[in-house]
Parts: sequence; C-alpha cells; structure tokens
Amino acid sequence: MADPATAQIIQGALIGGGIIMAGGAIGAGIGDGLAGSALINGVTRQPEAEGRLRGNFFLTVALVEAAYFINLAFMALFVFATPGK
Amino acid sequence: MTIHASLAGLPSAMARSELLLADAPKIKVGDHAVAHLFGMDFNVDTIVSTAVAAIIVLALAIFLRVKITSGVPNGVQLVFEFITVQARTQVESAIGMRVAPFALPLAVTLFVFILCSNWLSVLPMQYGQGEFIFPPASDVNFVYALALFVFLFYQGAGIKRRGLWGHAKQTMKGHTGWAGAILNIIEEITKPLSLSLRLFGNMFAGGVMVSVIALFPFWISWGPNAIWKLFDLFVGAMQAFIFALLTVLYFSQSMSLEHEDH
Repeated sequence: MADPATAQIIQGALIGGGIIMAGGAIGAGIGDGLAGSALINGVTRQPEAEGRLRGNFFLTVALVEAAYFINLAFMALFVFATPGK
Repeated sequence: MTIHASLAGLPSAMARSELLLADAPKIKVGDHAVAHLFGMDFNVDTIVSTAVAAIIVLALAIFLRVKITSGVPNGVQLVFEFITVQARTQVESAIGMRVAPFALPLAVTLFVFILCSNWLSVLPMQYGQGEFIFPPASDVNFVYALALFVFLFYQGAGIKRRGLWGHAKQTMKGHTGWAGAILNIIEEITKPLSLSLRLFGNMFAGGVMVSVIALFPFWISWGPNAIWKLFDLFVGAMQAFIFALLTVLYFSQSMSLEHEDH
C-alpha cells in the first residue's frame, strides 16, 4: 500500500462504495415504506381486500429492492474488485 | 495498519476483517473457474450450476408428465397446477390466451427454472473460497442470455403480429404518442437491461453477503448466515416471479394492437 496512486484509487473506491450504499439504503427504505403505508391504508379502508393488496405489495417491494440490490452489486464491484487499480 | 491477528474474540476478528477488506481481498468478485476453448472463455462453474438447475427442472417435468392424473394429484402436480393457473390468469389479463398462447409455457418455465437456479444457493457446499454450486444468476452471462432470449422472443412476436413497420411505429408511439418517441426507444433499450440486471444484482448481492458473513469466526457466523439464507430464499422466489411476470407484460406491450377487442 506504499504506492500513493493506488492508495488514492482505493480511497476513492471506498468512499464511492459508501455513497452508493447510502443512496441505495435511503431509496429502498423510502420506497418500501411508501408501499407499506399504501398497503396499511388500503387494508384500513377495506379489510377484506387484504389478500389482493398484499400480492401487489410484495411485487412493489421486490421491484424497489431490485434497485437496492443493483446498488449493492456495484458497491461490491467498487470496493472488492476496484477497477483501474 | 498492522493489527496482529493472534488474538481470539470478536473485536480483533472485526479488526482482522477490516485489515483484510482493505488489503488482500478475501472476497473475490467475479471469479470463476474458466476454461479456454476455441479462443473463448467459458465460466465452467456457471455452466455446471445451470446444468444442475436444468436437470432438476427437466426431472420434475418428466415426473409430472409420467404421474399426471385427473384424480387426486400428487405434490409436484399441485405445485405446477398452482403456478400454471396463476400464470394463465396473468397472461389472460395482459394479452389474452388466444393471442399469445405461447406466453403461458414460457412464463411457467422461466419461473420454475429461475426459481430452481436461485434456490440452488441453499445447498451448503462450500470449499476453499468459493461455493461448489452457486446460483448461476450471480454470473452476468446467465442473466444476459435469459434477457436476450426473452427480448428476441417478444420483439419477434410483436413483428409477427403487427408487421415490421407496424411494430416499429407502435413501439415508438407507445402510450404517449409521437411526442414521447425518444423516451419509448430508451425504454425499449432499458427493458432487457433492467430485466437482466435486476436478477443479477439480487443473486450477486446474496453471494457477496455470504462472503462477508463468512469473515466472522465460525461460532458467530452461523446466526447471520441462517437469517441471510432465509431472506435469500425469499428474494430468489420473488425475483423469479418478477422475471416471469415482466416477461408476460413485455409480450402484452409488444403485441397489443391499437384497436383491440379483448
């Protein structure tokens, strides 16, 4: 780790990885929260629609989490297999 | 930066893992056992995992066909019936079974195949630094191949139904009319990309998490490992379902006529 150029690249990669994870976590949290609140509101208005609403809820959660997992994959690429090192 | 790894206990294990994360990577990303043939590289472990998943799916299907009965169904038949009924409801509500009868077996096969290939990661076979059987969707080649196949299939179906020029024209018009033609073209490019990368990201992240959890000493890592594997099972099932569902939806988008009597 004595090479300053490599150290700079690793530094940037780790910071970038942290930013990627932060954005992903915030986005996934807000997205899942919105989906969950819509589910709770819907069940409050109409308790017998819970089964149908839950299917759409899980679908939305999976789509939101997909964006998060893509972020995770890119973070892993940056942090563990830093390109250009 | 020199933290001696001779102490036992959690704090030094974490420190050791921090040292290892920053120094020599114990987590290898994108490493595969590669075979070089005819000037091309083949990721052998992905091919092996894909073949195992395919053999499982084929064995289940043949068992189903041999034992199919209109009396009291066995377990395999029940599961396949459930999946087929759900998929048929989806196809019917999206494009209609008369228009696209081929969408139903495609959706069922995609779901079952991707489900099997994602759930292969539950088998606890690890040796050295890698897993023996790992979900093939954590290799980009697998997901790109699936998405490319689906892409070509639904473009071909759209061309067959609407004619070459009609298909191009209506793809550019989309739901927005001619004003959003550029956006519709971009959407056509991002559809297969997002389809493939969604599946890849989910499964690949599962593998990375398993590697990170494995950095803990073994008397700690069993807990997070079990919890993560359970979540990974759920994620794998959801991603298989979403892949099949989106395939049906893309077919319906690609094959819908402007004036449709449903």
